Amino acid sequence: MSAHTPVQRSRRRRRSAVPYALVVPALVALLLGLGYPLVWQITTSFKKFGLAQQFGKPPEWVGLANFSALVDDTTFWGVLVRSLVFCVVTAVVTVVLGVLIAQLMKAVGRVTRLVLQLSMLLAWAMPVAAATTVFIWLVDRRRGVVNYLLDLIPGVHMNRFDWLARPGTFFLVASVLIVWMSVPFVSFAVYAGLSQVSGEVMEAAELDGANGWQRFWYVTVPVLRTVFAIVLLLQLIWDLRVFAQITLLQDAGSRAGDFDLLGTYVYKLGAAANDYGMASAVSIVVLLVTLALSWVYVRELIKEDRAR
Amino acid sequence: MKRKITAAIAAGAALAVLAGCSSSSDGSTSPTAPSTQEAQGQDITFWLMGGDTPDTLRDYLKTAYQKATGGTLTIEEQDWGDALAKLQTALPDAANTPDVTEVGNTWSPTFTNVGAFSDISDMYEELGGDKLLPSFVEVGEVDGAKYALPYYFGSRYVFYRKDLYQAAGVEVPTTLPELTETATTLHSDGVSGFYIGGQDWRNGISWVFAYGGDIATKDGDTWKATLSDPRSIEGLTELQKLYQAASNAPVTESDSTPWENINTQPKAEAPEAATIIAPGWAHWSIGDLAPDPDDDTKTVATWNDDVFGTYVLPGVDGGVAPVFAGGSNIGISAASKNQAGARELLKIVFSPEYQKMLGENGLGPANSDYTSSLGDDEFAKALIESAQGSKLTPAAPGWAAVEGSGLLEEFFGKVNGGGDIAALAAEYDAKLEPLLNQK
Repeated sequence: MSAHTPVQRSRRRRRSAVPYALVVPALVALLLGLGYPLVWQITTSFKKFGLAQQFGKPPEWVGLANFSALVDDTTFWGVLVRSLVFCVVTAVVTVVLGVLIAQLMKAVGRVTRLVLQLSMLLAWAMPVAAATTVFIWLVDRRRGVVNYLLDLIPGVHMNRFDWLARPGTFFLVASVLIVWMSVPFVSFAVYAGLSQVSGEVMEAAELDGANGWQRFWYVTVPVLRTVFAIVLLLQLIWDLRVFAQITLLQDAGSRAGDFDLLGTYVYKLGAAANDYGMASAVSIVVLLVTLALSWVYVRELIKEDRAR
Repeated sequence: MKRKITAAIAAGAALAVLAGCSSSSDGSTSPTAPSTQEAQGQDITFWLMGGDTPDTLRDYLKTAYQKATGGTLTIEEQDWGDALAKLQTALPDAANTPDVTEVGNTWSPTFTNVGAFSDISDMYEELGGDKLLPSFVEVGEVDGAKYALPYYFGSRYVFYRKDLYQAAGVEVPTTLPELTETATTLHSDGVSGFYIGGQDWRNGISWVFAYGGDIATKDGDTWKATLSDPRSIEGLTELQKLYQAASNAPVTESDSTPWENINTQPKAEAPEAATIIAPGWAHWSIGDLAPDPDDDTKTVATWNDDVFGTYVLPGVDGGVAPVFAGGSNIGISAASKNQAGARELLKIVFSPEYQKMLGENGLGPANSDYTSSLGDDEFAKALIESAQGSKLTPAAPGWAAVEGSGLLEEFFGKVNGGGDIAALAAEYDAKLEPLLNQK
């Protein structure tokens, strides 16, 4: 190729259709699997859709009536605020713990690392219902291990203390459960990312007099920014819409509205109270909140990608 | 892992889409009713709610159906907690609907009004006519046409520990205020005088009924919630007094397994409660506990007349208090393709043999001719006596939504937790009315 290749020639280079053909089956599957219910939810949120409509009566279009009812509904705002606080606290704790454990995995010897990774893997592999059942047994008010151990501390009386009876302690138990189940994923992802941190740069930093925290903050974090961002983003999205653990804990505790987060609130509105129109409206709001939360990170990722 | 939850939500939404896409709920309406001829060889599915119907009865139904039509009967048990959601999504869908289903008597008005069941008025006389429990027939009919008929009736009565009552020197109470006093005397930190969960509305509602109140009444064409009625408030005040003075149950507990509390668990010195109120069939799980000889991971309870006893919940001034009427209705799904087979199954269910079997197993038969098959032991007597005054929840089209939303659990929990009853009643009346009247 000569040094004076005109620019037009690269523009006329034919683009192969193969990449697009390979993506089409995946796109079609995604559209059918997720797109159809999504479109149904969007259209239903503008209708009045109850049990009668389930059984064939045509629904009526009510425009934004469902959404305006939501704005006035104090229960909904209570659930939304609770869910946001819960998801931020749980996600942040999960990521912090995960990063600490990943650092630990890097620092210990082979055998210890293997034991640590195996136990992480077992926690990760445990099915949701099984893990929640065990936690429910642990906090049982009369026969639970937690109350028994706390009772051993002189001056503390925990017998018959019902962790699942008060919303405060209920969400504490739920948070601990979800952190326990999510930390393995974060720790493995971060541990894999830690291998990207160059050993020479670390050594150089140490020689320059940087302590552990400074090394972490000024060497590790910049390299792993993408990993941290992705992991935090995923945790935020999952913890905002958590359903299985909350509903199982409610079965053991109480189904009252004070113990609802967004996932169980939508289910109660739809399948239990037969108001599918309202449930769809709440789902759309959850979708928008999720998009808003992740927008900042997605923008950063796109920026970083362009910078490369 | 959490992707599974997303997938589950997507699957749930997809299911709802499929249900909405199904054919209209008219089903097969032939000018003449399907005959036994047409039922030959039809395989049908029957949904039962919870474990109330014992295995002997289920096996009888399968054999009898096989003999009558040559087809196979599949019985599927649905958990009461999931049943509402499952019924809503399965009944409209011709491909997935059960052909015959048991449905809680409190849910019958909702499903009948929305067109979930086939019209079986033509079979009414053949299946028992006016010998069938009138109040249950009423909740299953719309404009005189019968859609869901009674399956069995149950009732709730009180179980108590004779040994604890004797030790404390108290007698069986004969009025409702006396019950609160007795329970308070029996109460201690380790043993509840009267164990009732804070959110247990199915038992707690008896106090509202006893003082003459109700959850809602029909005013012309609309339902008005009546928790704020002075009589309802009187009943709730008495209940709040009883709960605070005599129950160690958590304020968030509802009525799941009350019998566990009256049995003395192995290695325990005393039971959790001296008195409980429970549905009649709970007596099978109450007694001296011992490992099952056939399977030592299970325990078997054997009733001991010296230790355990029963009495019906007393009225405010004596007599019998109206308790929550337990029981179920049964109906044929309108979307079912096997209408003939389903009708054959109904004939078997309402046959004298099956009605007597229901009675022998402690389930009140739908046909009052066979009530004597319940026997005359103390459980049968208590069942019949307490069932006489029992009351149903409002037969409003939106009642199933009220139960599904958990509003009554919340209300009773807050009342028993010590809240201001009048203010709470007004708040929850406002929440209940839109749900009751939803069409």
